[in-house]
Amino acid sequence: MSDEEHHFESKADAGASKTYPQQAGAIRKSGYIVIKNRPCKVVEVSTSKTGKHGHAKCHFVGIDIFNGKKLEDIVPSSHNCDVPHVNRTDYQLIDISEDGFVSLLTENGNTKDDLRLPTDDNLLSQIKDGFGEGKDLVVSVMSAMGEEQICALKDIGPKN
Amino acid sequence: MQGFAGGGDGGAAAELAHLQSTMRAIEAACTSIQMHLNPAAAEATILSLSRSPQPYKACQFILENAQVANARFQAAGSIRDAATREWAFLTAEDRRSLVSFCLGFAMQHAGSLEGYVLAKVSSVAAQLLKRGWHDFSTAEKETFFHQIKQASLGIHGIHVQFTGINFLESLVSEFSPSTSSAMGLPREFHEQCRRSLELDYLKVFYCWTRDAALSVANKITGSDSAVDEVKVCTAALCLILQILNWEFQCNSNGKKGVNVFSSGIRHDTALSNRTECILVQPGPGWRDILISSGDIVWLLNLYTALRRKFSHEGFSIDCPIAVSARKLILQYCSLTGTIFPSDNGQLQEHHLLQLLSGIIPWIEPPDLVSKQIECGKSESEMLDGCRALLAMATVTSPTMFNQLLKSIRPFGTFTLLSTLMCEVIKVLMTKGPDEETWSWEARDILLDTWTALLMPLDSAGGIVLLPPEGVDAAATLFAYIVESELKAASASAFNDDSDSDYLHTSISAMDERLSSYALIARAAIDFAIPLLTRHCTERFSRLHQGGGSFDPTETLEELYSLLLITGHVLADEGEGETPLVPTAIQRHFADFVEPDKNPVVILCCSIIGFAEQSLNPESRSSFFSPRLMEAIIWFLARWSQTYLMSPEESQDSSYSSKAGNVHQVQSIGSGRTVLRYFSEYDHGKTVLDIIVRVAMATFMSYPGEKFLQGLTCYQLLHALVRQKNICIHLVTLKSWSQLATAFANEKTLFLLNASHQKSVAQTLVLSASGFRDSEPANQYVRNLMGHMTTYLVEISSKNDLKRVAEQPDIILSVTCLLERLRGAASASEPRMQKSIYEMGFSILNSTLILLEAYKHESAVIYLLLKFVVEWVEGQITYLEAQETKVVIDYCMRLLQLYSSHNIGKISLSLSSSLLNDAKTEKYKDLRALLQLLSSLCSKDLVDFSSDSLEAHGTSISQVVFYGLHIVTPLISLELLKYPKLCRDYFSLLSHMLEVYPEMVGQLNNEAFSHILETLEFGLHHQDSEVVNMCLRALRALASYHYKETASGKMGLGSHASSLRNPKGELQEGIFSRFLRKTLQLLLFEDYSPDLVGAAADALFPLILCEQGLYQKLGNELIERQANQTFKSRLTNALQSLTSSNQLSCTLDRMNYQRFRKNLTNFLIEVRGFLRIV
Repeated sequence: MSDEEHHFESKADAGASKTYPQQAGAIRKSGYIVIKNRPCKVVEVSTSKTGKHGHAKCHFVGIDIFNGKKLEDIVPSSHNCDVPHVNRTDYQLIDISEDGFVSLLTENGNTKDDLRLPTDDNLLSQIKDGFGEGKDLVVSVMSAMGEEQICALKDIGPKN
Repeated sequence: MQGFAGGGDGGAAAELAHLQSTMRAIEAACTSIQMHLNPAAAEATILSLSRSPQPYKACQFILENAQVANARFQAAGSIRDAATREWAFLTAEDRRSLVSFCLGFAMQHAGSLEGYVLAKVSSVAAQLLKRGWHDFSTAEKETFFHQIKQASLGIHGIHVQFTGINFLESLVSEFSPSTSSAMGLPREFHEQCRRSLELDYLKVFYCWTRDAALSVANKITGSDSAVDEVKVCTAALCLILQILNWEFQCNSNGKKGVNVFSSGIRHDTALSNRTECILVQPGPGWRDILISSGDIVWLLNLYTALRRKFSHEGFSIDCPIAVSARKLILQYCSLTGTIFPSDNGQLQEHHLLQLLSGIIPWIEPPDLVSKQIECGKSESEMLDGCRALLAMATVTSPTMFNQLLKSIRPFGTFTLLSTLMCEVIKVLMTKGPDEETWSWEARDILLDTWTALLMPLDSAGGIVLLPPEGVDAAATLFAYIVESELKAASASAFNDDSDSDYLHTSISAMDERLSSYALIARAAIDFAIPLLTRHCTERFSRLHQGGGSFDPTETLEELYSLLLITGHVLADEGEGETPLVPTAIQRHFADFVEPDKNPVVILCCSIIGFAEQSLNPESRSSFFSPRLMEAIIWFLARWSQTYLMSPEESQDSSYSSKAGNVHQVQSIGSGRTVLRYFSEYDHGKTVLDIIVRVAMATFMSYPGEKFLQGLTCYQLLHALVRQKNICIHLVTLKSWSQLATAFANEKTLFLLNASHQKSVAQTLVLSASGFRDSEPANQYVRNLMGHMTTYLVEISSKNDLKRVAEQPDIILSVTCLLERLRGAASASEPRMQKSIYEMGFSILNSTLILLEAYKHESAVIYLLLKFVVEWVEGQITYLEAQETKVVIDYCMRLLQLYSSHNIGKISLSLSSSLLNDAKTEKYKDLRALLQLLSSLCSKDLVDFSSDSLEAHGTSISQVVFYGLHIVTPLISLELLKYPKLCRDYFSLLSHMLEVYPEMVGQLNNEAFSHILETLEFGLHHQDSEVVNMCLRALRALASYHYKETASGKMGLGSHASSLRNPKGELQEGIFSRFLRKTLQLLLFEDYSPDLVGAAADALFPLILCEQGLYQKLGNELIERQANQTFKSRLTNALQSLTSSNQLSCTLDRMNYQRFRKNLTNFLIEVRGFLRIV
């Protein structure tokens, strides 16, 4: 009845600051989880058992928060999973440069210029159109496990 | 539209040419449909035929001359469509000739054309005959029916006979409301037709059909290949079946309530709801024809003759005639009601006996029958035999049921039923669990039969008196069932298919079966309880003997099944009520006065004792698997609702009040012994303590077993705290306070699934109702929740909150805390209200800080909003004015903050499912906000506070409108596609507009136009409830405005009059706009007829507000009519809409009612032609 043989190899590059361990049973839908070393948003959790009288295990379906790919994992529910630290920061959008980078205004008055625009045409046009219309835009930048990406856009009124 | 209209003026030759070209066009269209060539165009061609005015000549021509069968079929359909549409304009002669053409055509071509064309033509004839049922004179109908009678009796040959029967079948199904086709007429019409046919024709049809069947039967029995006769006979049997399936309503003849008890026949109406067996209750008028005529004997003989032929070619068990004959026999078994005289059931018994002796060979001897089926014989005859038993069980009492077989066999029907079922289960055991086999179906039918026999009926005071033979049969069967279930369990112990793993799936799949098992067990309760005890103890000791040396899995699975079965036998499901001890257990075991020797007590104690062993870590790890614990928790939950500290036992002598029943005398001994044993005066407290400790163990020692813990939360603990008398003891138990302390402090309990934590918090708070006074109850809640609020405040006041808030461990803590607070908030009861208010009050600021910190973390935001919603909902009615002000201010800040975070926000993601998720999350948030506003609204309706709000300068309506003003911009029309959000939004909106129309005048233009836009959207919504709410809102607005302006006030002021918007376009005032919309909706669009009343109520004040516009619109409508007749009809109708029934210009109840009536008449008068022309 024991499944102690399930255990995890420690993830080489998942440093303490980037991910946190959390019991699989406590992770719920629309939370985050690391699957195959990628930060994912959980879109589906189901539980099943290892054999009729065995222990519960969780089946996670996650979507990579950066590239939108679907990933799956099965973990005994009393074991720990890695949960990514997903951070989001708002910046005011100052400029969009020709070479595909954005210029953002940080809270302390500096600029942040190292963020690329998304490559997807649809997302790109949503950002560019808003900026082109001269609206004052705030972008939310999501970062996790060493990657970052623009994840939301907010119109805070016309630019003066 | 191509001109398919009948004939031109150009003489006979031109007409013929025209008809032929039409025919060719239709033929070409039909062929191309069949070949899938440009089907859309072909369909349009065919449609244009049925839509053209008076296409009858063309259709008749096609029917008579077309080469393509499909074209004939379509032509028949077109006749039907056109005639039902134009019926009102056709002359009496046209109508008659259409029907007689169709009838004549079908008869004339009987046997020579394709069957489906003939069937279509007869059904068109039947539909038209029904359409004109009130128009044709009796003589005309007689002519038609004479023709049919001749045909069905076989005077014109076998093919015409078949067509005649076919026509009757269409006619009967057309006249039966459930199978009739739509004709655009009110339900009343169908009802009148049904009644008329039932009274005047149904019996006649029956006789014709029977005679038809009789006329061919001899030929069938006499020869091996009378194919056409078989066809006729099958059709006749089907028709008789259909006639017997008729929902007879004119059967009571005023006589009701025949002697129910002595006759052994059941008459109650609950009967038919219970089983799937359809009862046939044609009433006394049918006695001569159905019972005394000897038809049954004839039918049984026919089937016996057929059976002998099954070996021959052309006949088999499953050939249509055999199937119909068996179905008809079944139908005769279901005969009941006033068709039988009140002669103590003698005639019915005789009737059933006749049938049973015909059916017996299908199922007896069971072992032989099942062997034959396993060797390849078709099972349908055997299944029909089982169904016949079910039908008989449904219409008789158990005693009479048993008696039936006794006159032809040495044993009763119960014994047969039991042997038959054992046999079926035996076969079933040899099959895999997922194979859908005949034995599966047979078992379900037979279980239903037992249920029908054993289910106590209300009219008999919950008592089923079983003959001794029945008890023995039930005992044998139950022993066999348990044995086979155990075998199945141990065989499946190592199956690892994840679907059947779960208690809930296995319970819901098995539930019906288990409750039938329980009925059987209770029928032989003296035998069943000791049997279950024996099985349980045997397996308990097997586990202990094993001591880890063998794999216990099979035994665990057997115990799992045993616990489910035992739970069902011992107790009923509560479904929210407190279930009583089952009557069988109450009444038996009266001899066991000493509780220790009472078999029920012994069984309960042995299972509870076993459950207690799970507290020992050693045995827990060796054999209390999560799955076994699930069964134990489920059992404890179900059992405790009936037996643990029953309120009946606490209230002295409540038993004797139920006297008046002879059998009650016995029950005072037995059921009470058990209840007494588990009452608070005896072992109740010990058992409660065990249950609490077992529950705690499932939280602490089964980490990650979500499902098990869910069962503990939702089934066991909820069931316990629902009973006040248990709460009283719970709060005194040491184990309960241990659970509370652990919950507040232990880290393990923070790892429970978050929604389970909510449930535990709710349970713990609810148990505080067990305190006698409110002070200790409040103190208990403070102790319980104090830690959590402090912790939440601590987190929210961290300096580096912004940095750490998004760390997964902090998110987890905040989530759990919010869930727990939400659980506690939802448990608001007057006694604990104070402490729960304080709990929420202490974290109001923190929640606003968290709302800011987690603005990107939608999962947390949703929980936070839900907490606020539930807290406000529970508290608002109790709050004093000062507190209310605090809460309202807080809510407004919350709304503003939420809105500032979310307005104009667009999520960007590569994944469409993440985007959809984001949309759903938004919808859930908004729904919560609307709920918050609704609960604020309720303060104006229910208020327990001591001082009035107005004195403190707070106006609820202002606040809610302000809230709506914040929330509405977030609700896009896109989001209103979520039905729940839509309903919530419109019910809040219409409530606000109805109750506080005066507030609308104070809204600014933007807010106002948003409300109008959504109202307009709602008016065209699919959900008629939403439309209804919008109409109510309109009525409120318009009537408010009308009344106000009539008394010289502003009303809605500028909103009511036309305005130029900033872009310079002229915008209509609200009432003109909606007057147009409502009229448009009523006259030209599709809507549910139920809405007419509400629409009338809205339209009336709208017309009064905008009389000028109404006149103009009316004139436009009249001008648009080209047809003079219609024009004058419309003018008159508009005239009487506003003037008949002494309608006047005041908005009172009388006038609303009059206007409703006027509008209904108006719509009946003009909507038909307005929509078509």
